[in-house]
Amino acid sequence: MATQAAAFPRNGGLRHWWRVVRVGYWLGWQIESNWTDPLLFFIYSIARPLGGVLILVFMYHVVARAGGTAMLGFFVVGAACWPFVVRGMMGTAYSLISDREHWKTLRYVYISPISLRAYLVGRALAQATSAVAAAAVTLVFGRWVLGVPMHLATINAPYTAAAFALGIAAVIALGLLVVSAAFLISSEAWRMPEGVGAALYLVCGAIFPVTVLPPILQALSRAIPLTWWLEAMRRGLLGPAVVRSLPHLADGQVLMGLALLTVLWVTAALAVFTLAERRARQLGILDRETMY
Amino acid sequence: MSDIARARGIRRVVRATLGRAYPRIIGANRERSWLFYDTILPLLGTIAFVYVYKALGAPDRFVGYVIMGGATMAFWMNVMWNMAAQFYWDKQGGNLELYMVLPCGIVPILLGMSFGGFVGTLVRAVAIIVIGSVLFHVTYTITQLPLFLLIFGVGIIALYGLGVTFASVFLMWGREAWHMAELFMEPVFLASGFYFPVRALGFWVGMGTSIIPLTLALDAMRQLLFPESHPALLPVRVELTALVGLAVLFIFVARLSLRKMEYLARREGRLSLRF
Repeated sequence: MATQAAAFPRNGGLRHWWRVVRVGYWLGWQIESNWTDPLLFFIYSIARPLGGVLILVFMYHVVARAGGTAMLGFFVVGAACWPFVVRGMMGTAYSLISDREHWKTLRYVYISPISLRAYLVGRALAQATSAVAAAAVTLVFGRWVLGVPMHLATINAPYTAAAFALGIAAVIALGLLVVSAAFLISSEAWRMPEGVGAALYLVCGAIFPVTVLPPILQALSRAIPLTWWLEAMRRGLLGPAVVRSLPHLADGQVLMGLALLTVLWVTAALAVFTLAERRARQLGILDRETMY
Repeated sequence: MSDIARARGIRRVVRATLGRAYPRIIGANRERSWLFYDTILPLLGTIAFVYVYKALGAPDRFVGYVIMGGATMAFWMNVMWNMAAQFYWDKQGGNLELYMVLPCGIVPILLGMSFGGFVGTLVRAVAIIVIGSVLFHVTYTITQLPLFLLIFGVGIIALYGLGVTFASVFLMWGREAWHMAELFMEPVFLASGFYFPVRALGFWVGMGTSIIPLTLALDAMRQLLFPESHPALLPVRVELTALVGLAVLFIFVARLSLRKMEYLARREGRLSLRF
């Protein structure tokens, strides 16, 4: 009995929560990576982001305007960071949807003595991990092939690390919000995360400064933590020689804004998730399969 | 015996083709949300690339380039997700086994998927062009409309031929199918010059990537839309001839590949492999 209690720490405790995150992470990583050999998985991981950054590079070169490498740096950091959003945010939603519709395991996960939220956070972190190789290769490619001014001496490591951690938290919060919507919708569930991702790609300054957007979209973009995260990552990695999405703000203000928005979005995500889960259960649609 | 069951020969092929195309055309009308997801989503991505050119201070014709690329992307995504990977979904839904025991064989099923997918995607591509052009005030002057339509038609035949080839290869796969379809997104958008003239990749690289029918089709159509400013890879008529060659090649390869892969999939018991 005592052994069993040690193996399964008290439900709701931090240790239990962390254990569920770890198991969710392990499971997510297996699903994500074991469909092929490591080399093909690595190629698969880097091909899309690298393809994305090269599209931007060629677009830049066909226009061939002045602006030096500042714009290239903007593209490279944006393209390096975006896989975390794709994998982390969209991946969290797909974890729930595929558990529900494809693997048909959601009901079993749900009735097990674990926190569904912790399980999904673990799955999201596994997805985000699969973006690390893509980000690293994109940054190395940008630095050594494209000549983006990104030097160890000028990188503000503590600033970048803080921004990165906050950004991942924001991505997971967004993932939980999308999951909350996925609880309540059926046939569009597979396409909805992609839709959210496409909208964020447009308004968050992933590949162009948000200053070129119409004013109403600029206001919207400033309410989303990803805009601040991408801006902070660019400032941390590229220093002052960077095209800015939030030109009127100092570096510290950007980080503070990111922290504030992340706290707000995490709080909102937790509340919305709880409400959506409760509502789906009340309606009896928590494990409704709609694939056809 | 019903009229459908009595159908033989080409009549059976046509009926089976139309039968498979039916849910793709009519289903899209019944499930209106698909129109939103298939039109607005590609449009959002397209608009993002329009803003990249605006941020770079590019001339207006580049906006037209991007909108055309976005419309073309709808066809590519249809071919990858609803042709190449379709048998993967059909395995999950249990339909693949049914297709395999049909008296008409698998070819009319693929033809129906192609035809239905093309009609549905054409509507979405036109919507992307219209909405994108209105939003960004882009106008086009097509100098030779019949030639433009011919290039488009031949390009589509070659593209769906490639789709059938992929479908036969994907027949062997389980989860890999999903990941491979994903893998053929941005790298193909890059190689085919969806958002920039493919000539920017260099002549020989452009020639290499011309194995993807959209590369030549896009380049030829852009030459007709922007005759004075587009840096062409090859003259339009040469590209049209090459597209005809690709169409014939892919139809031939698709037929061979389908037979081979179906045999292998049956032998290795992969037709009903779900995960």
